[in-house]
Amino acid sequence: MTEQEIQEKGYAYPEALVSTEWVQQKLDDTQNIRIVESDEDVLLYDIGHVPNAVKVDWVEDLNDPLTRDYLDPEHFANLMSEKGITPDTTVVFYGDKNNWWATYALWVFRLFGHDNVKVMDGGRVKWEAEGREMTQEVPSFERSDYPVPTRDDEKIRAFRQDVEKHLEAQGPLVDVRSPGEYSGELLHMPDYPQEGALRGGHIPGAANVPWARAVREDATFKSADELREIYEGEASLNAGDDVIAYCRIGERSSHTWFVLTYLLGYDQVRNYDGSWTEWGNLVRAPIER
Amino acid sequence: MERKDRISRLVEQASNPRYRGVLEDADVAMPGGGPECGGSVVVYLKGDGNGRIEGLSFTGQGDTISIGAASMIMQKVRDEDLTMGEVLDLDYGAFVESLGRDVVGSRTRNATLGLSTLKSAIRKYQRDARPGT
Repeated sequence: MTEQEIQEKGYAYPEALVSTEWVQQKLDDTQNIRIVESDEDVLLYDIGHVPNAVKVDWVEDLNDPLTRDYLDPEHFANLMSEKGITPDTTVVFYGDKNNWWATYALWVFRLFGHDNVKVMDGGRVKWEAEGREMTQEVPSFERSDYPVPTRDDEKIRAFRQDVEKHLEAQGPLVDVRSPGEYSGELLHMPDYPQEGALRGGHIPGAANVPWARAVREDATFKSADELREIYEGEASLNAGDDVIAYCRIGERSSHTWFVLTYLLGYDQVRNYDGSWTEWGNLVRAPIER
Repeated sequence: MERKDRISRLVEQASNPRYRGVLEDADVAMPGGGPECGGSVVVYLKGDGNGRIEGLSFTGQGDTISIGAASMIMQKVRDEDLTMGEVLDLDYGAFVESLGRDVVGSRTRNATLGLSTLKSAIRKYQRDARPGT
């Protein structure tokens, strides 16, 4: 796949995606570009990664170790300095699981106003499938100067109270978990240790669009027309909508946030990172099955 | 053993899991974990009625740590011919140490998925053997 093929997929912001070939050509441009691998399988980077890529671990690097929240601006600035990233650096994310964690890391970067971000279409699986070089060598970059940013939790992040208001206003919600989680049936499986939620089901009125429906078998994103058919044709969303997406802890829904925001050009999409582990435990929170 | 060797060991185990498969005549089939987060396994256990393990296997999918560590605990239990009581006494922290804390990091739940599910299977086996208790 080339940049022209990405252009032909008709996205609102095609520049948010780059091809594996583009990354291949830019591997040595470490002055301007930083390639970031972010995976669910935390050992994959050690097994082999794209040359000159650095690793960002969503648990150890992006989460606050105590409070359920993301890292604070000071720690973000320090993380960027460690990775040799400046505010002007173009950060290209890729990872396993159809770029699930890559888009999650990207979303966190956006909270801190690092807007110069892209995703490598197809992620790790496509890079490997094409037989491109992988290395175990961990690059080291000179510490950069990254001023402490301001974290903006308003525009692309939703908290519980936002969801409650959204519910009152009958705003569109999209639940990107599997159909079993959405229906609540998983809680009824005997001896199945459920993680973190006392009640099963979904937030009333939420449409169910499992996140991975946005990608093709080769892990690249579907075209804009195909995505519109899913999100607008089936789930009845519209580009002008104020949308809140959620999943279990906000990671899968960051993938959908990326799709709606960058590929379909929605202006108002928020990721509810409290997601089902918060809502499914709330006393008297309305639930639908 | 260096970190890269500990990683290689987990990768090898995850690539070629020991005792993988369904145990057709199992007394207990115990699911554990979550398919969308780290990994999920089913542990199959057959007992001899006197606290010994006659058959043990697992199926599942997940990340390198989850599947590699599940394979390693199956191998340990069988190689050392541990009894059910001895498995229940296994310490999670010590098991994580044996895998390497520098490898597992904060993914201790993934690392202990196989062991915790095996312990659950044993407890169910013991409960089923004592109806009414």
